[in-house]
Amino acid sequence: MTPFEVKDCALLGRMSGLPPAFNLRELRERIAVCGENVLFHHFCETTLRGTFDNPDYRNDFAVWSKLYLGDRVVAERLGILDPYSFPSLGELRAATLDVLDERLGESTMIPWARPGDEFFFLESTTIVFDAGIRFTQPSRLAAFIRKMTNGSVYYHFLEARRRPPLGVDDFTAWLKEDEEANRPYIQALASVDFYFHTLPHLRHELGRVLTEAKVSK
Amino acid sequence: MSATLSAYEGIVGSAVIRQLRRLGEKLKGTRIVHVNSTREGGGVAEILEWMIPLMTELGLNASWEVIHGSGRFFEVTKSIHNGLQGHSVPITGKDWKVYEDVNARNFERLRPALEEADIVVVHDPQPAPLLKLCERRKGKWIWRAHIDISRPFRPVWKVLRTFVEKYDASIFSMAEFAQPLHHPQYLVPPSIDPLSEKNRDMSPEEIEAVRNGFGLDPSRPLLVQISRFDRFKDPVGVIEAYRMVRKVAKVQLVLAGGGASDDPEGTAILEEVMEAAGSDPDIHVLLLPPDSHRTVNALQRLATIILQKSTREGFGLTVTEGMWKGKPVIGGDVGGIRLQVVPHHTGFLVNTPEGAAHRIRYLLHHQDGIERMGTTAREFVRENFLLTRHIREYLTLMLVTLRDPRANFIQV
Repeated sequence: MTPFEVKDCALLGRMSGLPPAFNLRELRERIAVCGENVLFHHFCETTLRGTFDNPDYRNDFAVWSKLYLGDRVVAERLGILDPYSFPSLGELRAATLDVLDERLGESTMIPWARPGDEFFFLESTTIVFDAGIRFTQPSRLAAFIRKMTNGSVYYHFLEARRRPPLGVDDFTAWLKEDEEANRPYIQALASVDFYFHTLPHLRHELGRVLTEAKVSK
Repeated sequence: MSATLSAYEGIVGSAVIRQLRRLGEKLKGTRIVHVNSTREGGGVAEILEWMIPLMTELGLNASWEVIHGSGRFFEVTKSIHNGLQGHSVPITGKDWKVYEDVNARNFERLRPALEEADIVVVHDPQPAPLLKLCERRKGKWIWRAHIDISRPFRPVWKVLRTFVEKYDASIFSMAEFAQPLHHPQYLVPPSIDPLSEKNRDMSPEEIEAVRNGFGLDPSRPLLVQISRFDRFKDPVGVIEAYRMVRKVAKVQLVLAGGGASDDPEGTAILEEVMEAAGSDPDIHVLLLPPDSHRTVNALQRLATIILQKSTREGFGLTVTEGMWKGKPVIGGDVGGIRLQVVPHHTGFLVNTPEGAAHRIRYLLHHQDGIERMGTTAREFVRENFLLTRHIREYLTLMLVTLRDPRANFIQV
């Protein structure tokens, strides 16, 4: 097998330039026109961003709807959206707008946030660099993942799904070089319900399922 | 003396340190100059104190310059600071002239370093006019705002904006603090140094010595607010909250802080606080010298609950420090405190002395909550708010600024 080259990444957040949203209708209007990078940031990159909270939901729109609009119904509907299950960000945007339109249609009053609690639309730049680590044996994948930074776990297991081959993480793509021999590892990685993990938990979970697959192999 | 990068491995893990070294390699030899207005006192000086040696260790050519000014200059910049935080302050044309003249004098002294730098980071409003003066600059200039300027007193912002809008980029601690500007506005929360004198582990004997030194009773709960004597930190409101709690619980209160050389209002506020404290032997108002880091460290470790009842706040690093000591924090519902204190999770957010008193009593009745919140708080700080994360974001910022400030994806 070709060596697996471990990459690392670092994220730098910035203001998107969109005005903040004070209510559910403004949230809908901004999501309809924001860049895909903004959408990706609030659905996918939140996991790499520093926080003091471990919120119920993994995307910023759901968290804000619950905490600051006080609309638990729309928060639940937004919270279950898994961005990695959509073939494109355009389709993710359409699904998000469907949820918001449905809720706006149901509501007799538009939920709003008080000043200071508005939603700020952000985006970020991802810097990718070589971590300087290589390995060739699939049996060592679990051990290497356990030593990876959050940035490496994010880049290889989550962000990878945006790159060709679309929807596939880098570890699986590499293991498929010898699919027959590595099938237990591939199946183990596929079994992880990754979107709802924090990165430290995800690292732990990947290490665990790969170790179990190694034992049973 | 600052610690070396490898000293942090035991706290954040070797992978995180390796990550910084790899990023540092990409910036080897880059000349970066930080400029602020004080070498001691306040969060900015503390950050630069550890950041410069660590960036140097990573291979960057990093330096730190401080502008010097008269008492009048710092009175003006304090008014600018207050105005940016929303207070209606009268700043005359003459005041702005003092502001620009002092910067012009400093520029002459700093000219060679500023002209040659690849990146200049100017911290807060005091040195902001330097960019306009540096016509032969070669590098990128970044304005770093450490304070909350989300709702500024407009006349002050209108003038300051003319200085900062020409920068290549700005940095804010939180999205909520930013103002619309034409250049990229990056978000980098500050951090604490877990190995600094203020945050490193202490022996029980050392902690007890501080307790005894200030005559604190080990058998009674201790409330501690560490901050400059500044109106926005609401020290008088803290005393009001304490008095409400005292009716039912024999708590003690420590209000401790130093002055900063760029804060001329401190003495007047301290007098107000002393008057409010009166002769109560259980209120300890401590004006500490700037190098009292270990005393502050011990006081935070001795606290039952950390208070930071600010009415306006930048990020609120004293909150982060308190959390790193495994303490719940009762903080004002403002600025960066809102980012750090998650109600019932790592502490409570309050808006009034009554609210603070209520939550102090709540926690005194829920001792298990004090322990649980403190443990949670410490782990969040470890994961996200230590200096290693901060350095990574600065390195990333430099790479982005030098290559493509608005790119979404950069491979280096």
